[in-house]
Amino acid sequence: MKDFAIFWGCTIQTRFPFLEKSTRMVLEGFNLPYRDIDGFTCCPEKSLVNNIDHGLWILTAARNIALLDKAGVDLVSPCTGCASNLATVNSELHSNHKEKNKVNSILNEVGLEFKGNNKLRHLVPFFHDEVGIPAVKNKIIKPFNGMRIAIHYGCHMIRPSHALKNDDPLDPKKFDNLIRAMGAESVQYMTKLLCCGQGLDRIDQHENALHFARLKLKELRALKVDAMALCCPSCYLQFDNNQFLMEKEGEKFGIPIIYFTELLGLAMGYKPEDLGLDSHRIEATAFLEKWQRLNGDLSKTTELNRQLEAGFGIAQL
Amino acid sequence: MESLNFKLLEQCSKCGACYHICPSCLNLEGYDPRAVIKDVLAGQHEKWLSHKSIWQCLECHHCLEICFQHYGFENTMAAMRTLAAKKGMTPPQVKRGWDMFIKTGKLGEPVAPARKKLNLPEAAKSGAEDFKKMVKIYREAKTNPNF
Repeated sequence: MKDFAIFWGCTIQTRFPFLEKSTRMVLEGFNLPYRDIDGFTCCPEKSLVNNIDHGLWILTAARNIALLDKAGVDLVSPCTGCASNLATVNSELHSNHKEKNKVNSILNEVGLEFKGNNKLRHLVPFFHDEVGIPAVKNKIIKPFNGMRIAIHYGCHMIRPSHALKNDDPLDPKKFDNLIRAMGAESVQYMTKLLCCGQGLDRIDQHENALHFARLKLKELRALKVDAMALCCPSCYLQFDNNQFLMEKEGEKFGIPIIYFTELLGLAMGYKPEDLGLDSHRIEATAFLEKWQRLNGDLSKTTELNRQLEAGFGIAQL
Repeated sequence: MESLNFKLLEQCSKCGACYHICPSCLNLEGYDPRAVIKDVLAGQHEKWLSHKSIWQCLECHHCLEICFQHYGFENTMAAMRTLAAKKGMTPPQVKRGWDMFIKTGKLGEPVAPARKKLNLPEAAKSGAEDFKKMVKIYREAKTNPNF
């Protein structure tokens, strides 16, 4: 596997350093060739920068990608926004030589050149495609068998698909496959692909943001899922923090929001507190207790399976 | 922002297939991108620049994916936001975010005490200085009509 730089993005490092922690633990647990490189800025966020200055949006993303060209490494990001923005600009510059030349005329003056020769991926499709389901299964020592987990993909993990090219943009499968590889049921639900709505909090429309959070959380409460799994700091903010704010006002949902890396880390046998699960605003206690209990029950069935696999039943005939 | 393709927008104004998948169309009262598109085509977009609707597009790209023209109305909403921003009509938080981005190249910085507590390594260096240099060159280049 080719070396890759991790692109943390602003939100994880500013607001949720524990998500960086679980990501590093999982990458190290799999012995993956990742590194931190100096010089990145904001990806930059499309909904903020592109609206105000399209040229600067392209240029800033191109500069981040040019740093990869210089270091000769691929990129993986645990943030859907960063992965999507960088891939979108990469695809736009590959299809527009005039714009690429313009960008490079400026980047050359700061000692960089955009080539866009390296892969830019989000962490979830990266695990699915590069690490692979069999390798993931091999690392699982405390599976989630018996647990019902609802996946929230996050729009920018899969869209726009012409740039990301990593899953079906209207019927994605890869995150589901990974959750199932960890033993859990991926609960199918009506609002599964609905946008989290966090963007509305960034334009001073908090009540509308809460309305969107409610749509999903209400359905998941009715379905009695054990947790929601996601891999985007903005969606995490929406469902953990805004759920907490609603609970403070007396609206109870009780849906723990677990990051992909935390889920994988738990299944690999890492301690919840080492992974940073105690930093969540919505407590994961009930989820963890059920998982511990089911793993206790599981060791009994594992013994039964061991005997079956050894041909115990057949030998008695 | 790239210029809008009015020929494709003609189709958008009559189609509306994306209304069945657009999260804001489905959930926010009064959110109606075709009304904006019709005014754009009639040369009467000005009234939308101060309207909250243009900021309610979540840029989820659902409309783009389902659109038979691979266009979607997200382009129109982004164009309206760009024009509004030019006139200084952004929601306060957008302005704050933009100021921080231009000043630091980022939307926040790593928090050293929290990193130490979690036993995380020192964060990689930010490219803020090079970024600011690049922005200066870019702004000068933009004053050249041939750029």
